Amino acid sequence: MTEKGRNRIAAADRFAGCMFFALLMLVLSSCGRHNGGSGQAGNGGRAMDSTLVIAMLGDADYLNPVLGSSVTSGNIIGLIYPSLLQSEFDTATGLVNYIALEKKLRAVTPGQGKKTPKGALAKSWRMAEDHKSITYILRNDAFWNDGQPVVSGDFKFSYKLYGNPVIASARQQYLAELLGADKGHVDFDKAIETPDDTTLVFRFYKPVPEHLALFHTSLTPLPAHQWKNVKPDEFRHSPLNLTPLGAGPYHLKDWKQQQEIVLASSRKSNLPKPGNIPQITFRVVPDYTVRLAQLQTGAVDVVENIKPEDFTALLRANKQIDVKTVGLRVYDYVGWSNIDQEEYRKSGRVRPHPLFGSAKVRLALTQAIDREAIIDGYLKEYGVICNTDVSPSLKWAYNDRITPHAFDPAKATALLNAEGWQPGPDGILQKQGRKFSFVLYTNSGNARRNYASVIIQQNLRSIGIDCKLDVQESNVFFENLQQRKLDAWMAGWSIGLEIDPLDVWGSDLKKSRFNFTGYQNPRLDQLCELAKQKMDPTGARPYWLEYQEILHRDQPITFLYWMKETQGFSKRIEGEELNISGTFYNIDDWRLRPSANVAL
Amino acid sequence: MLSYLFKRFLIAIPLIFGVLTLTFFIIRLAPGDPAAFFIQPGISPNVAEQIRAQYGLNDPVPVQYVKWLANVLQGDFGRSFSRAQQPVFDVIAEALPITMTIALLTLVANFTFGILIGVISAIRQNTFLDRFLTVTALFFYSMPEFWFALMMIILFALKFPLFPASGLNEIGAEGFGPVEFVLDRLWHLVLPVTVLSINGAAGIARYVRGSMLEVIRQDYIRTARAKGLPEKVVIFKHALRNALLPVITLMGSSLPFIFSGALFIEVIFAFPGMGRVTVEAIFARDYPLIIANTFISGSLIVLGNLFADVLYAVADPRIKL
Repeated sequence: MTEKGRNRIAAADRFAGCMFFALLMLVLSSCGRHNGGSGQAGNGGRAMDSTLVIAMLGDADYLNPVLGSSVTSGNIIGLIYPSLLQSEFDTATGLVNYIALEKKLRAVTPGQGKKTPKGALAKSWRMAEDHKSITYILRNDAFWNDGQPVVSGDFKFSYKLYGNPVIASARQQYLAELLGADKGHVDFDKAIETPDDTTLVFRFYKPVPEHLALFHTSLTPLPAHQWKNVKPDEFRHSPLNLTPLGAGPYHLKDWKQQQEIVLASSRKSNLPKPGNIPQITFRVVPDYTVRLAQLQTGAVDVVENIKPEDFTALLRANKQIDVKTVGLRVYDYVGWSNIDQEEYRKSGRVRPHPLFGSAKVRLALTQAIDREAIIDGYLKEYGVICNTDVSPSLKWAYNDRITPHAFDPAKATALLNAEGWQPGPDGILQKQGRKFSFVLYTNSGNARRNYASVIIQQNLRSIGIDCKLDVQESNVFFENLQQRKLDAWMAGWSIGLEIDPLDVWGSDLKKSRFNFTGYQNPRLDQLCELAKQKMDPTGARPYWLEYQEILHRDQPITFLYWMKETQGFSKRIEGEELNISGTFYNIDDWRLRPSANVAL
Repeated sequence: MLSYLFKRFLIAIPLIFGVLTLTFFIIRLAPGDPAAFFIQPGISPNVAEQIRAQYGLNDPVPVQYVKWLANVLQGDFGRSFSRAQQPVFDVIAEALPITMTIALLTLVANFTFGILIGVISAIRQNTFLDRFLTVTALFFYSMPEFWFALMMIILFALKFPLFPASGLNEIGAEGFGPVEFVLDRLWHLVLPVTVLSINGAAGIARYVRGSMLEVIRQDYIRTARAKGLPEKVVIFKHALRNALLPVITLMGSSLPFIFSGALFIEVIFAFPGMGRVTVEAIFARDYPLIIANTFISGSLIVLGNLFADVLYAVADPRIKL
């Protein structure tokens, strides 16, 4: 063999070596955590016909109801585990209804109430006359996937886990009314009694309204027989977390972390029934553009939170896509420090903020901001002007007599002049030598808030207010907000379906952790307390009406807009109902239309 | 040579340790809180406190450092805060094979195409072909990867649906046979590896061209031609071998890339590789995972440089270690 030939062979060997190593890695990476099932799917196309694919932004943190705290976790846990009651948001009234097999909290408005009660573990319940205990009668035909019955003991066992400080469950708050909670430690032996396998009694230290008792006692149970030997300090990293044992319409088939979660319909489930779609795959697709592209190509069937600016192109590109909206639960606002934060941080003294301390100035700021322009320019028909933090969707409590503060720069200027703010030589308003100049902070990575903040800056500049913009990394922004280091900021809240605003507006600034503005109004505190004492939520309506009037008058923050959540669906899904309580609220009833191009 | 290697290893230990210590303090002093997620309305204020206690974050930083040091010296880098308390090396062990697959395929493509294009440009210097290759290479070299990736997706996944836009496997791939499964995986790797290697190859081609041009003008090349050697032997045996010295530096410095991952590509193509692990750990303030990642990439940078130095000696007998 010639030298040339030898060299060529050696080079080819080296190249082949590299390729071999790369392929070896490929096989290794393919082997990963692969405990997938047998080949029911012959090829990709046919697998897609029996599989619903949902794109998600991030992986579930835990598939354990005691620990799971991300939205994805919540969605999946709801499909795997059984629940004591079914809950349903009544869009006609804005109230949440709780449903047991043979009992409902309230009568269902005609046209509502599509949720079957068969998913509930409770047959019925009885609230004590004094509202200090609630007794559930459980059905006796519910079984975990391993064949063991679901019994009242599972609930008592699970509540002890929820309340264990070593486990640090994010749902401890649900136990706040149980016996002993007022003294710091729930007395589980007395607070939760299980006289037999189908009777479950919760006892409270104070009278609790029925809807709240139902809400707080229906935390998802874990199977006690599977978890009883796990020590609390090992709970968070127990291998059992990777193989959840449930009883719901679906069970976990495969979980490739950070890639996908595959659920398969549980053939034997009677809570309420096996899911219609044989398999549901939740795929992690972190990039928004790629999620959109995948919806367009049909690689995924559901993408949540599509930005309004993408609708037209998406619907034009693929006729098999439908964009559905639901709301209103989320709003953006501009926060103004009502109190001098620096002074409060240093000495704990509450003094009005030099710029935003006066309600009239805050009102002027709201009137100076063209909220309609932000909605027209960005959210379009998916945005609604926001007056207060009571959502128009909560019809039973919403005050529809409030007229939004209109965009009126002239009125705003007049108000500011009356408050002593006069234009200085540079055109910026001044009062006692202080310029009306501040920095408006917001968190990074939010195109909508960036858009809004630029309009706000222009609006304020036109009435002589100097507003600088600063974008901070979300973690840093949130920490600064908590430490009261920001004077003005733009952020948003997602509201709960029960109105409980004391955390955000309570006058006790140490207790109200989210009162970042420092707004204090004793009447508002009083109204919240009065509303809480009503055993029937609708009885609190007059208090909530007044509450909204006060917020509208005092403008502790400038409420900007409510946003409809917009979800993209493939039209091959049938039977989906969107509800404010969640996109996947009736997913066990969805069906898939088989694709036309697959020969069956 | 061996004593040189030994010395370099000895120096590397305090260096890596210093990097880790610095990282330890920087991430703890930076704003942000690993328990921040649990501070929201509806969650008891106790939860964040309990979580911090579990993570041992309530101790003063120097005490935390001593405890951490004791654990690290026993090889225990702790459990991840943000990923269901998995041991950090388990998290890394899951992400590493994926990253390495992409990186190795990319590197092979990078160097093969880079060297090839570089050599062609050099021997056809100032021709149309050279100018065309140079302009094209510069065009791709200066293109941001994430943008290029999105354009490739629009072109090859949306307009002409030839390749999948993301993920490692097709839905239902768990039912495939082993060959079909690997082919499906390769099919999913085409776009990301192309994006990464076009960009990288363009850079390498510039290096090779420059260094080839220098070598081709040397006297010994003229001698080789004068003694009647075929042009191929002159170029590939006499010239290329000498021209590859700077490329070896590049090879050494790409070692950390193999393990640290390509963030944008991983995010866009939804690969759960090292890049995403690192960045998500930083955003979640997952201290143990950040430190473990720093340890791995720090060690690899040191090793990569050492590897390059050794390769110099192998490629060029004039260099003695």
